[in-house]
Amino acid sequence: MLGPIQKIDFPMHHFAPDEEVDVCIVGVGSAGGVLIQRLARAGFRVVGMEAGPFWETERDWVSDEAGSSKLYWNDLRITGGKDPITLGANNSGHGVGGGSVHWAGFTPRFHPSDFHVLSSDGMGADWPISYEDLKPYYELLETEIPVSGPAYYPWGDPHGYIYGPHPLGGVGDVLVKGCTQLGIPVVAGGPVAILAGSHGDRQHCIYRGFCIQGCKVGAKQSTLISHVPDAIRHGAEIRANCMVSRINMKNGRTTGVTYFDPDGHERELKAKLVIVSGYAIETPRLLLNSACPGFEQGLANSSGTVGKYLMVQIGNVVLGRFEEPIRMYKAPPAHALTEEFYETNPKNDFIRGFAIQTVGPLPIAFAKQMLVAKGAWGWGMRRVMMDYNHWAALGVLGEILPWEDNRVELAEETDQFGLRVAKVTFNLHDNDKKIAQAGVKKTTEVMQAAGAQEVVQESRYAHLVGGARMGSDPNTSVTNSFGRTHDIPNLYICDGSLLPTQGSANPGLTIQALAARTADYLISNAGDVLSSHPERISVTNPPVRRNLSPAGTANKGVPRFV
Amino acid sequence: MKIRDNARKDEQQRDAGRDRWPVDGTTGQPLEPRAQPGYYPGYHTLSQQAFWDEATRKVVLARVHDVPPIRFFSPEEARLMQAICDRLLPQDDRDEEHRIPLVNYIDTRLYHRRIDGYRYEDMPPDHEAHRLGLQAIETIARHMYDRSFVDLGQGEQDAVLQTIHDTNPPAAQDIWQRMSVQRFWMLLMQDVVDAYYAHPYAWDEIGFGGPAYPRGYMRLEGGKPEPWEVEEQRYEWRAPDEALSDTYRPVGGPGGHKQQPSGQEGTH
Repeated sequence: MLGPIQKIDFPMHHFAPDEEVDVCIVGVGSAGGVLIQRLARAGFRVVGMEAGPFWETERDWVSDEAGSSKLYWNDLRITGGKDPITLGANNSGHGVGGGSVHWAGFTPRFHPSDFHVLSSDGMGADWPISYEDLKPYYELLETEIPVSGPAYYPWGDPHGYIYGPHPLGGVGDVLVKGCTQLGIPVVAGGPVAILAGSHGDRQHCIYRGFCIQGCKVGAKQSTLISHVPDAIRHGAEIRANCMVSRINMKNGRTTGVTYFDPDGHERELKAKLVIVSGYAIETPRLLLNSACPGFEQGLANSSGTVGKYLMVQIGNVVLGRFEEPIRMYKAPPAHALTEEFYETNPKNDFIRGFAIQTVGPLPIAFAKQMLVAKGAWGWGMRRVMMDYNHWAALGVLGEILPWEDNRVELAEETDQFGLRVAKVTFNLHDNDKKIAQAGVKKTTEVMQAAGAQEVVQESRYAHLVGGARMGSDPNTSVTNSFGRTHDIPNLYICDGSLLPTQGSANPGLTIQALAARTADYLISNAGDVLSSHPERISVTNPPVRRNLSPAGTANKGVPRFV
Repeated sequence: MKIRDNARKDEQQRDAGRDRWPVDGTTGQPLEPRAQPGYYPGYHTLSQQAFWDEATRKVVLARVHDVPPIRFFSPEEARLMQAICDRLLPQDDRDEEHRIPLVNYIDTRLYHRRIDGYRYEDMPPDHEAHRLGLQAIETIARHMYDRSFVDLGQGEQDAVLQTIHDTNPPAAQDIWQRMSVQRFWMLLMQDVVDAYYAHPYAWDEIGFGGPAYPRGYMRLEGGKPEPWEVEEQRYEWRAPDEALSDTYRPVGGPGGHKQQPSGQEGTH
């Protein structure tokens, strides 16, 4: 059961143990969930391997901060560099739905400018596609998720949302008030992947504020509830609690994967096509751990870029104390934002920019912020925590550019499966630091304009993308724009690790949109990619398929000419 | 004789406790320990448990009623850890029955080798870091006061801990060669607040709504309480005179140019 009223009431198909399937997807998260749904609907014989559990949400999830740690990837990783990033709860998922289970759900699109940062600004990277290539998939996913938001969204490619926005909570009040005082445009009520009204067999939001602990209500989208049921209905199999240890190779092609089943036994799944959707740490790790004769530096790594150009976003939290109570634990943390400072401004001494968004830390998260922001401990911690209800928190979301030295490699240490764990190295560069500084300064002004008596801030990072980027040049990228690796014709990557740059937008919607686009490519080229000559691709510019959405989500919203 | 000794001991103990109580900001008198400090008297998240879902009720009630035993720390380490936690998150304003058992929850995490999904390259594994940290704190205490940490007064104990907060410990340099002072401070404090603010007594203290599924909230704006929540009733208080932790200064110490730690929790 997924949420109180959504049920999967049909048996899942099970392929025979030694049966070769068409497609094996490694990781059923944001990208893998969308991908498996579309491929199953199009008739592919597809298996999704997921290292974590298949959640029964009513039984497994709790409305409790400390009790929700099982939603994250908690296995060991080593983190270092001059500015090491935190992992685990901050940016990783474990279990069907992956990180979309515990994302806050902000779903802004990337701006058209995000796709040509290098050409326009001389730093960063260009995408092998433009905004227009992704736009139809943004529109599709916004109805499939669906995204609640304002009727008019003024930034990037201006557009509107067909599902109504959410009411404001205390933190949204602060953001709207502060921005309005300063003449900064701001939107409220979304865009966020949370239902403001009921939709099919899912319920509307109850404003309890536990979004990042997993939405028991079923109002916030995860691919577990939006796409996986439809995938299973169309014959997909998901093997939960199965950890893929290696991608198998023969004559320069992949033949499937080796994995540990839930009992710890090593097994093999044969597949004509393998798609790695393990996200920005596990995807490079698996490619590197699959090194074999002919691919000594890891799979799909002839360019040497696997694991490189890893990105997080500036995620500083600016906290303000108000005379009147705020009670920021109510309402979804994600419900108002401004992207007014997103684009490159020639007046700045840096390129690109940042967004300002509402966040709503619950007590433990807030205490940890105060530990940094005020240096609180002892009686000082007790005192500031007694004022929890008087504080509001705004998040800076700032763009960090892709740098070669920010990377995932293999550490010497191994995990419980005997597999080498990931080692992540991260350094901030000059442009990144300037964005963080400017973002904190502006957000502090907004907080003060809203009437805060005291404003403090905590440095942190948000999200995680890159590490196996797409590109036109096989010498500097791992895949083409559809996630097909340059080196191995039947090995694909489809997840956040593909992103060449990231803007100041939360990446979840873009990751899901890219997955739908990759699915269309595979479906249009099914005859080739499933043949013994997967290197032949007949359709290089596949049409957008609008008939593959999960039941009940297609053909809604603004009328369009077809 | 013995009875008189005991009576004097009780008196001493009570007096020893009194100077650890916070002080009424208006009268200057020590504030008697109470079941529920904080500005929300009469507010009890547990009283709403009938409105919680089964899975959540089980997890939260177990936290209150089934306190796990000490299995990772040795008895001596546990005693030292208790003394440290008593300063990192003092509970002298709580009566005995309503103190939150921090050490047991930290011990359980370390016993099960539960981690948050990563380790800094300049840190040993969490369970080793905690053991080394205990040794370091004891070494600093003996260096500064020539006595064991557990035998120090509250002000002295605070002074020992503040050297770590300020990342300027005067002793145990061999241990700080093996792990970062700042990251150890963060690890220790994160474990402490993880345990304290996971507890319903702490939620009552700070006026947090607690579990809220499936009922949810209806009053979102203006900081209004739900019908089952209560309005704030503030009172002025200050920490006991000897305590050093009631003023705020950055991790790394005042005026320092040391790199600030970055936050751990996911927010957006």
